[in-house]
Amino acid sequence: MSRKINAVVAGAGRVGFEAVKRLRGYGHDVTVVEPDQQRCDAVADEYVATVICGDASDPDVLEQAGIENADVVGALTGDSGVNLAVCVLAREFDEEIRTVARIDANSQERYGEFVDEVVFPERAGGRAATNEMLAGGVETLEDVTGDLDITMVRVEEGAPAANRALSDVRFPAGTLVISNDDGQRIAGPDTTLEPGRRYIVAVEPGVADEVVNLLRG
Amino acid sequence: MSSHGERSPEAELGLLDATMIGMGAMIGAGIFVLTGLAAKTAGPAALLVFVLNGVVTTFTGLSYAELASAIPKSGGGYAFVNEVFGDLVSFLMGWMLWFAYMIAGALYALGFAPNFVELVHVYFSGTVPPPEQVAAVTITGLALGSVVLLVLLNAVSTAASGSAETIFTATKVLILVVFVYFGATAAEFSTAEFQPLFPGDHTPVDILPAMGLTFIAFEGYDLITTVTEEVENPRKNIPRAIFISLAATVLVYLAVVGVAIGTLGATELGEAGETGIAAAAGNFMPTFPVVGGGEAVIVFGAVFSTLTALNAVVIASSRVAFSMGRDGRLLPSFGHIHHRFGTPAVAIVASAVVMVGSVAFVPIRQVGNLSSLFFLLSFVVVNASVIRLRRQRPNLNRPFEMPLYPVAPVAGIGLNMILGLFIDLTTWLMGLGWLLLGVVTFYGLRRFKRGTEGDADTGPTENVTTPAGDAPEGQ
Repeated sequence: MSRKINAVVAGAGRVGFEAVKRLRGYGHDVTVVEPDQQRCDAVADEYVATVICGDASDPDVLEQAGIENADVVGALTGDSGVNLAVCVLAREFDEEIRTVARIDANSQERYGEFVDEVVFPERAGGRAATNEMLAGGVETLEDVTGDLDITMVRVEEGAPAANRALSDVRFPAGTLVISNDDGQRIAGPDTTLEPGRRYIVAVEPGVADEVVNLLRG
Repeated sequence: MSSHGERSPEAELGLLDATMIGMGAMIGAGIFVLTGLAAKTAGPAALLVFVLNGVVTTFTGLSYAELASAIPKSGGGYAFVNEVFGDLVSFLMGWMLWFAYMIAGALYALGFAPNFVELVHVYFSGTVPPPEQVAAVTITGLALGSVVLLVLLNAVSTAASGSAETIFTATKVLILVVFVYFGATAAEFSTAEFQPLFPGDHTPVDILPAMGLTFIAFEGYDLITTVTEEVENPRKNIPRAIFISLAATVLVYLAVVGVAIGTLGATELGEAGETGIAAAAGNFMPTFPVVGGGEAVIVFGAVFSTLTALNAVVIASSRVAFSMGRDGRLLPSFGHIHHRFGTPAVAIVASAVVMVGSVAFVPIRQVGNLSSLFFLLSFVVVNASVIRLRRQRPNLNRPFEMPLYPVAPVAGIGLNMILGLFIDLTTWLMGLGWLLLGVVTFYGLRRFKRGTEGDADTGPTENVTTPAGDAPEGQ
C-alpha cells in the first residue's frame, strides 16, 4: 500500500497555502481550490499543487478537484460556514474521506461533530506570541524552530531503513535523528530503527520527503 | 556520526539546465545512430524526415507544455496521465513510457558499442580491427558492459544525474558545430546534390517509416518534465525549455543531416548505418593537433553522446518506475529509496534487467522501432489527456494555455497514429506483447494488494508523520 496521500485543500489564503506547502514537502499530492485568480497564480508560481479556480462549496468545482479519489480534505478558507459546507459536501462524494475544517472562533468547537477534526489557527498563533512575550522560560518546542521541522516519525514495517542501525543508513544532508525509540535517550550510530517505534527527527523542509520515504516506505 | 545527513540534496535547475536536459536526450544518440539508418530507408529525403518529425512533435510539445504548467509533478507524461485517467490507463501509460526509455537505453548501448570500437580502431588500427570486422558477440558484450556500468553508477550514487547534463550537452553540440562547419566549407559540399529527393526506387511514402524509426530522436521533452520540480520558476521555464530545446534540436539536425548527405551522399550514408556520421566526417575533417584525424573527434562525439544519452534514459526509466511504485502501481519496493545509497535502487536495477535483455536479444533496427512506437503511443495518450482535462476540469488553472486548441492535440493524436501505422508488424507484435504483460501485471498486483490490504488497515490513521507544529489542539 502506498503511503502517499491525496489531499484537497480548499482556500489558498495564509493558512491554506502554508498547509499546502507542508503537505507537498512530505511528498503528498495536493489539489487546491481557490476562488481568487491572484491567489491561484501565486500558488501556481510556487509549483506545489494543481489549482482549480473556483468556489469549493460548489459541487461541480469540488468534483473537478478530484474529491472522489482524495484521502483527506482540508477546508481552510477564512469562512467557517464555507468550510463546514465543503466538508459535508466532500462526505457526500466519498464517505471514507477524512475531513478537517478551519474554524474562526473557540465557540465553534461543536463543528467537530460534523467533521473529523477542527483547526483553530488563531490559538496556535496566540500561543506562539505568548511564548515570545514571556521571553524564554517555558517554551513549547514547535514554536522555537524556524524552517526546521522537529518531527515524530513512526518507523513502518518494511520501510527501507526499518530494522537497520543508524550507521547503516545514509540520510540526506539536513537530517538529524535526535532521540532513540520513544525518546528516552539521544540516538547514536548503533541505535536501531525498529518498526512500530517513534523517533524524533529534525529535518530541513527540502529533504523531508526523502526522510519520510526511508522511514515509512 | 551517521545520524547526520551526508548526501547533498538536489540542485536547482535554471532555464538553461532544463533546456539542456531536453536537448541532451534528443541530440545524443538520435543523430549519431539514426541518421545512417534513416538515409538507408528514405534516401536524400532523410532531411525531410527530421523536419517533418519536428513539426509532428511540436503538437505534442504544446500538450506537454500545457500539462506541465498546470500539474506540478515530476514524472513526465506518466504523472500527467495519472492525474487525468483511471487506474488501468494510467498504469499502461507508465508501463509504456517505462519500456520506451528502457528500450531507448538498449538503442543507445547498441549505438555506443560500434562507435567505441571505431574510436579505438582509429588510434590502434594495428591491433583493433574496424567495427565491421569485429565479431557481433564483442559488440553486444560492449553494449551490455556500458549498460551495467551506468546502472551501477546510478544505483550507488546520485551524482551522475542532473547538473552534469549541461556540460555534456554543450560538448555534444560543440562537436556537431565543428562537424557542420568543416562539412559546409568542404569541397565535397559545394558540389552537393540533393536533387532528386527521391532517386531510383525511393518514393515519398518511404519518408513515413523513416519518420517512425527516427521519432525517438525527439522524445527529449518528456525528460524535461520528469524533473519539473527541481526547475526554478517552472510554470514559465518548463514551456520555454520545451520549445527552445525542440527548435534548437531541429536546427542542429537539419545542419548535421544536410552536411552528411551533402558530403557523403545518401547511399553511402545508409550503408554506414549507425556509424554514418563518423563515416561522413572521415571524408572532409582536417587533422587536428594532439587528437589526430578529424574523424576521431566525431567518433568521440558519437561515443560520448550515446553514453550520456544512455545515462539520461537510465535515470528517466527508473524515475518512471519510482513514481509508479510511489503511486502503488508497481510493487511498493519500486518506490523506495535505498537506505544506504539514497537512490531508487530497485527501480534502477529492474529497468536494467529489461535493458540488458533488449540489448542481448533484439537487433538494433527493431530496438529503434520499438522505442519509437512506444513514444508515439504514449504521446497519443498525453494529447488525449489535454482534451479530457479541458472538458472535465474547465476551472483548472492553466498558466500556459496552448494556442489552436483543439486543433493541436487532435493533430498530435492523428499524426502520431499515422506514424505508428508505418512501423512494421513484428514491432507491433512485440509491443502488444509488452502491453499484454502490463495488463496481466496490473490485475495481478491488484489481487496481491487486496490480499495485503487487511493488514495495512490495522495501523491507526494518525500515524502519518506528525509535524511538530501540529500538536493536538485541545489542551
